[in-house]
Amino acid sequence: MKIPDAVDRVLLNETEIEQRVDQLAARISADYAGVTDLVLVGVLKGAFIFMADLARRLTVSHRVDFIALSSYERGAVSAGAVRLIMDTRTSVTGQHVLIVEDILDTGHTLSYLVRNFSARQPASLRTCVLLSKPDRLQVDVPVDYLGFEIPDVWVVGYGLDYGDRYRTLPYIAALKPLACG
Amino acid sequence: MGLRDDVAKVLIPEDALQERVAELAREIDSVYVGERPLLVCVLKGAFVFLADLTRHLEVRHEVDFMETSSYAGGTASSGVVRILLDLEQNIEGRHVLVVEDIIDSGRTLQYITRNLRTRNPASLRICTLLSKPARRQIDVPVDFIGFEIPDEFVVGYGLDFVEEYRNLPFIGVLKGEVIQSGE
Repeated sequence: MKIPDAVDRVLLNETEIEQRVDQLAARISADYAGVTDLVLVGVLKGAFIFMADLARRLTVSHRVDFIALSSYERGAVSAGAVRLIMDTRTSVTGQHVLIVEDILDTGHTLSYLVRNFSARQPASLRTCVLLSKPDRLQVDVPVDYLGFEIPDVWVVGYGLDYGDRYRTLPYIAALKPLACG
Repeated sequence: MGLRDDVAKVLIPEDALQERVAELAREIDSVYVGERPLLVCVLKGAFVFLADLTRHLEVRHEVDFMETSSYAGGTASSGVVRILLDLEQNIEGRHVLVVEDIIDSGRTLQYITRNLRTRNPASLRICTLLSKPARRQIDVPVDFIGFEIPDEFVVGYGLDFVEEYRNLPFIGVLKGEVIQSGE
């Protein structure tokens, strides 16, 4: 597959991602062994590929649900306030909830989601994040399952986009600085 | 794995699925040369298929999602569903490819395509992983079909039974007693 010109370098190739998702799935399956009401809540659009691969590797019974968010301000900079534009299909009260996110940047979005879902009185609430940018983190938010820590560069692929482009590249790549001008 | 014990038979094994999804991607690439299609995924069932299909595509494209639900007390025969999540993007003038997991009666799909056509896309095509021709009530033209399957209750690769079995990596037929006990 041809690598787009806007890509500066591949940060994580398909094999690296696959192996890490395998490991995460094994840990989650072990931690939730015997649990019958696990629900994975994926955050659209970014988490859909991660969710598809992660869920297939779980050996523990679970449901999958999605939520969609929209920020109040447009643009690449993550702001604190997010708007829930689609909620889960079914109630998560009394269920074991695992929020599945593609990337942790400032942490504001995940922090909001954790507070929002805690209020629904789940049996337990954990978070699973594929990528984290520690240099960007502004709020303290608990991540129970983390795929990779990455440097503060604009990344695309495996669900992550730049203006809806490059989202479905099978690897995770850093964009050239000019391309995200 | 407990879920697999509920499967009577594997209809489409994992490697055959992956091979066919890659082929479908080549077919789609060849139709959209020089264009930038928008793939519209109807949740939840199609998300696994979409995740694999898009990663095989060479043509530049974008993805968007819709989620629908039937109206409480509504009649199923019209196919009219409530849109819980509409597209983020305006599709006017865009080449739209609706990505479905399975086409059964075709009624909901017909409604969704009618709804999308009112938005004046440049083109509108349909791609489905599975089709059950024996169940079809509405003749919806489908441009890309992964597999035609018999009229059996299938799960896996995104397809569920009461929200379970979506994560099986193959398409399987559920045991009759499992379906009866779940209903």
